[in-house]
Amino acid sequence: MHSLRDYLRLYFIIETQYIKARMQYRADFIISSIGMFFSSLATLGIFWIIFHSIPDLAGWSFMQLVFIYGFYMIAISPMQILFDHIWNIRFHVQQGTFLKYYFRPLNMMFYYMSEMFDIKGLTQLAAGILVLIYASLQLDLNWTLARIALLLLTLFSASLVQISITVLAGCAAFWVLDAYPVLGLAWKLREFAPYPMNIFDGAFRFTFTFIIPLGFVAFYPSQLFLQPEEVSSLVYFSPLVGMGLFALTYWVWTKGVNSYTGTGS
Amino acid sequence: MKSYLALLRGSYMVGLVYRFGFLFSIGGNLIYMSITYFLWRSIYQNRETLRGLTFNETYIYVALGSAVFILLKTYVDWQMSFDIREGMVATYLIKPIDFQLYELFTSLGFFLMSLSAITIPTILLMVFAFRIEIPLGIGLALFPFSLILAYLLSFCFDYFIGLLGFYTESVWGLSITKEIIITVLSGALIPLQFFPEAIQKILLWLPFQAIYYTPLTMVAQSTLGWETFLPMLGVQLFWVIALFALTRLFYNQAIKVLRISGG
Repeated sequence: MHSLRDYLRLYFIIETQYIKARMQYRADFIISSIGMFFSSLATLGIFWIIFHSIPDLAGWSFMQLVFIYGFYMIAISPMQILFDHIWNIRFHVQQGTFLKYYFRPLNMMFYYMSEMFDIKGLTQLAAGILVLIYASLQLDLNWTLARIALLLLTLFSASLVQISITVLAGCAAFWVLDAYPVLGLAWKLREFAPYPMNIFDGAFRFTFTFIIPLGFVAFYPSQLFLQPEEVSSLVYFSPLVGMGLFALTYWVWTKGVNSYTGTGS
Repeated sequence: MKSYLALLRGSYMVGLVYRFGFLFSIGGNLIYMSITYFLWRSIYQNRETLRGLTFNETYIYVALGSAVFILLKTYVDWQMSFDIREGMVATYLIKPIDFQLYELFTSLGFFLMSLSAITIPTILLMVFAFRIEIPLGIGLALFPFSLILAYLLSFCFDYFIGLLGFYTESVWGLSITKEIIITVLSGALIPLQFFPEAIQKILLWLPFQAIYYTPLTMVAQSTLGWETFLPMLGVQLFWVIALFALTRLFYNQAIKVLRISGG
């Protein structure tokens, strides 16, 4: 068994090599980072346009939605930066190259995900932090040390929710020939995480709360900061949701890894 | 011509392999359409119209937009970038065919595939399962032509990015930047009427609106009449010709810097 410190050191070594390799396409790297920054702000543009015609959306003001969106951008960044390799799992599984991950004395999920470190995701993270700070200044939110600690905890949990949903969708590759549509759907649904859950009717709200808990990526946890007096008890579970879901995801991943038999090539 | 049709047939057949994917895409579309329904319902609340559009018109626009979105993605830029890195481009260049048309006809096969397997089923479900009433007007008859022109325009942008890949080798950044510009400025997510007026005026002068706004309006507000739709089609045609010519000129430049290793 390796200690956490060994893993961190290893991760650092692997990523240094990876970043060197990425720098081969320098122009593309620079354009990617700028593109990522703006594409993550595009939804805010859509909000801004919609609010030209209406004063509020289901009781939420423009600036409150900006706050939720900033929270969302930060929460989805760890997925983007650390777990981006999940997108390639179908190639590895189909072509049999996935076998190589069995041959190292390392945690397989760690080893597999460490092969990619999405640097441009850092610009999305930066954009998210800026948006969150801007919105909380505009909303005149009251930040104490305890509340900042709560914010970090809920962000950690929310990012685990996002990671779990995507990795679970990617794990479909172990059982179906082409997992891309499953991942694509999970990715598309993600776009709705920053919207207020109270726009949905019963069945959808239930689904996004308990089955595909998109609501815990941004909307529920940010209520702790936007309307601390009127949150439902559900919201206080948000730190647990992330950890529980990640445990489930890890279990499914292990199942998938154990059932994979290679392609024979 | 015969060889181009063979390309088209070939890529159509390749597309057929991924049947599971189609079911999932249709399912995904239905979920997406339901979610946008809730979203726009809460935007409209009890308002009769917003920016001159009724809820029904806006919803047809947005829902059809999500079905058309999959159709108009040609992936030509990703394919070209892949072919450049793997050195495959060399094998296309030595064939006695035009490179631009080669890319166009290959992508057309996928277009027909997703049209028959994703877009048409989604529209049918929209009408019969969701019971959305599409107004019957002249716009509906013009929609197929407009959609083809929109596809050609979308192809030009993707092909242009693919050619830029001759310089940068990897097109990831260019592709997402292009995608976000087109998605926001073309009215793919939200009808142009909702934009602030000054911005609307600028957008109508740009080619992007001809990709989504034009065909979607022809269905959502199909009763607007000839005098509105014919100029719109004319503008689309103008951009198709202009961008086809421009990308051809650009190809002559880009081919000079192309370096191929391996293959």
